[in-house]
Amino acid sequence: MADARVEVGDPALEEEIRRVGGALAAAFPSAARHPLKALDSRAMDLAAADEELRAALFRFVDVAPACRSLDDLAAHLSGFLDEVGDKPPPIAAAMRMADTGAGRKALGAAAAAGVRHMAHRFIVAETPHAARHLVRRLWHQGVATSVDLLGEATVTAAEADGYAARCADALERLAAIHEDLPHRLHLERDRHGPIPRPNLSVKVSALTPLLRPDAPERGMRDAGARLRELLRHARRLHAHLHIDMESLDSREAVTDLVLALLADDEFRDGPSAGVVLQAYLRDSPQLAERFIGWAGATPRAAPLVVRLVKGAYWDHETVEALQHGWPTPVFDVKADCDRNFEALTVRLLEACRDGAPLRLAVASHNLRSVSHAIAVNRRLGGGDRDLELQVLRGLGDDLQDALATSGFRVRVYCPVGDLVAGMAYLVRRLLENTSNESFLHEQARGIPLEEMLRAP
Amino acid sequence: MSLPPFANEPILELRRAGPRQALLDALAAVDARLPLRVPVLVGSEARAGDALTSTDPGDPERVVAHAAAATAADVDAALDAAARGFARWRAVPAAERAAALLRAAAWLRDRRTEVAALEVRECAKPWPEADADVCEAIDFLEYYARGAIALEEGRPLLQVPGEHNELRYVPRGVTAVIAPWNFPVAIPMGMTAAALAAGNAAVLKPAEQSPACGHVVVQALRAGGVPDEAVALLPGDGSAGAALARDPRVQTIAFTGSAPVGLEILRTAADTREGQRHLKRVVAELGGKNCVLVDSDADLDEAVPGIVHSAFDYAGQKCSAAARVLVHEAIADALIERLSGAVEALETGQAGTFGTDVPPVIEREAQERVDRYAQRAAADGRIVARGERPPGGWFCAPVVAADLDPGSPVLREEIFGPVLAVDRVRDMDAAVAAVQSLPFALTGGLYARNPRTVEAVAAQLPVGNLYVNRSTTGAMVGRQPFGGNRLSGTGTKAGGPDYLLSFVEPRVITHNTVRHGLVV
Repeated sequence: MADARVEVGDPALEEEIRRVGGALAAAFPSAARHPLKALDSRAMDLAAADEELRAALFRFVDVAPACRSLDDLAAHLSGFLDEVGDKPPPIAAAMRMADTGAGRKALGAAAAAGVRHMAHRFIVAETPHAARHLVRRLWHQGVATSVDLLGEATVTAAEADGYAARCADALERLAAIHEDLPHRLHLERDRHGPIPRPNLSVKVSALTPLLRPDAPERGMRDAGARLRELLRHARRLHAHLHIDMESLDSREAVTDLVLALLADDEFRDGPSAGVVLQAYLRDSPQLAERFIGWAGATPRAAPLVVRLVKGAYWDHETVEALQHGWPTPVFDVKADCDRNFEALTVRLLEACRDGAPLRLAVASHNLRSVSHAIAVNRRLGGGDRDLELQVLRGLGDDLQDALATSGFRVRVYCPVGDLVAGMAYLVRRLLENTSNESFLHEQARGIPLEEMLRAP
Repeated sequence: MSLPPFANEPILELRRAGPRQALLDALAAVDARLPLRVPVLVGSEARAGDALTSTDPGDPERVVAHAAAATAADVDAALDAAARGFARWRAVPAAERAAALLRAAAWLRDRRTEVAALEVRECAKPWPEADADVCEAIDFLEYYARGAIALEEGRPLLQVPGEHNELRYVPRGVTAVIAPWNFPVAIPMGMTAAALAAGNAAVLKPAEQSPACGHVVVQALRAGGVPDEAVALLPGDGSAGAALARDPRVQTIAFTGSAPVGLEILRTAADTREGQRHLKRVVAELGGKNCVLVDSDADLDEAVPGIVHSAFDYAGQKCSAAARVLVHEAIADALIERLSGAVEALETGQAGTFGTDVPPVIEREAQERVDRYAQRAAADGRIVARGERPPGGWFCAPVVAADLDPGSPVLREEIFGPVLAVDRVRDMDAAVAAVQSLPFALTGGLYARNPRTVEAVAAQLPVGNLYVNRSTTGAMVGRQPFGGNRLSGTGTKAGGPDYLLSFVEPRVITHNTVRHGLVV
């Protein structure tokens, strides 16, 4: 098996993908276990069905935390709904409520409750400390976590310092939270050795106000000092630090900074750290080669974790390119992106098989992409524990359950923070959830399993 | 001639290392050629000279160009040549005029990195904006070329039996273009290209601070095939511009610059001289005191960077730059704190260094003026943030002032530098009233998320360009036709569908088509 190759469309591989996917689908929890989510799904369906309504609801969710009173909330909601052409009956009723003072208060209160409810689905708690019960419960269920601290955009040095301090504190908290948890072998060890329990995801854009697309070295210098401190903290606490990727504007700065810091002698013995590869970028294969080459050439105690994602800034990248007359840096067609995701999965797993000090974490809610990664890993002779699967809190909960009960190592990305600061994140997740092409939507529409598992 | 639809020239993708290196290479190439020589160009004559010198604002010891300064005789010769050039150019069909402008665009496109580098040196325009300025010049050429073809169609009129009515546009004559240094290629190119597109002859007087950039404009147009006599270059100081504005041979004056000079031009133009048989038309784009309104529901994550860009990019030396913020009192403290921190993080430095946020201002006089206003702001209120001022060039530290005395000139006068004043307001109605009380009405910004508030503010603000939830600068040809109202200008919109109408006269020709009672 060690010399096995993976060919696109190999019937045996496709068969294995169908087997893995079928088993995972069978392990999905029944909808009855998540009555609240069924309710959410209906609201999402309503929003997904009508572009105008969807826009109105997003704009409302976006502004809700900035509203100063119930009256103000109701005024915004009715202002947005005013712009919806054909109003479904429940919306028309809401508009009528906004006509009276008492109605506005009631509408505002209902809307505030709705936004809070929605936010809690995606944002687990206000602080890492407050998230401790969830983190521990998940661990007991065989699910690992990565905590992400939501915040306002960093525009000042004080804000960058504040975010770095919150990250340092989160590392301490996470270390304490994980200290006395029982062993979960598949969460803490693979063929490379131990996997740290505490896991924090950080954003370089939050560590400096000086990220400039045309001057990556400026942001690198400024964020570098803060990131170095965080790496020292993580090493001391035996925690994993994962550096998120954001829009293409900051990719050069983030990539160069992280690879330079991790190559520093100071961090040769740790901490465990990771980067992100965004499969929606047309040039992501080159970055994959850079990561593979870097890992092979950089002796470190902990292998580099590469989190493979599709990418969360598709609309942003597309709009920005169109506004500037640039070729779009992302795949325009979802199937092309999915194919690239699979090709990158194969490339990275082959590199792992060939001895590169890499760990692959496949972050996707697409049953096909996940089943493909599992099947390819097996075919290349890897053990299931040599592959990590990641999902987003609130979006991949069912898949998370299915993966955990099937014995895979699954890590949930858990955003932590207050509602105001988390709004950009929340809106992006809502968009993803109601996007017509999303896997979740297909799942909700009852697309047959065979079709969902077909090669892209 | 059928042209593809207009599209903006793509700016360089400076987030990638390749285009950045191309610009740095171009700068090295330009530096190796300094100082440049800029002649007076009249017809086929080039008169060299060095009465005028432009220097690098970031290093005033570095001479960028030695230019001839136009004399009264040069102005006279240029206008004589322009009269001949006009007779010839007006007879050229619109499609051919358009083709010349398109070739000029191609000429500029081929030299875009080099021209951007020249702007970096002569005007301390930072890279992204120097590149955008060259793109805008290309856009004006492409846009007005298409406009010239459309204009030749005239406009439809009502027709009744026995009568044929035709509305056509004819060029006015000789256009004097008096241009500023802050968009050193785009603005002179826009005004000159519009005049030429419509069939006029043009005489360009670039700003005395940027003769080499002005030279590029005329080089491009002539390389594209505009006859030498139809476009002249008169580098020089204000006296050359004044002589042009006064001269009875000039039909149209296109001016972009300060309000006092603009008003002087309007007065001069109103005066008919001996032998003058026409009324001059003035197209003027003047100053601003541009306000950004921030409502309590604004997203400060977007408002703060947007305001910082609007106020401090190119050291605030844009007519569209934000000068005042009118913020709802409920979020004023949060905004001031974040804005202050953001301004303190700005890097003041050389225009040719990628990542510079605030370049030097254009000249010593500008530096002194900005310093005076900054001192006045400190006296009339409090300075809440002050950035760095590096040594060497004409640098000014970016400044944010708050809680100024309502009568402070800092709140009313155009500073044209990196000074931003923040006021608290009770609500958006009060903010609108504050804007209404100003003499200027160029650009405005609004950060608000309630659609009803946005509509109410849009309906009441007198500004020529209102930007909602984005920065107030960076108008794009064809997308944000640009120009102000009140004392900010004559209400014309550069880069818009109506702009060429300022450079033509409408004529209506009515034919009687009835002959002996029959319609023929």
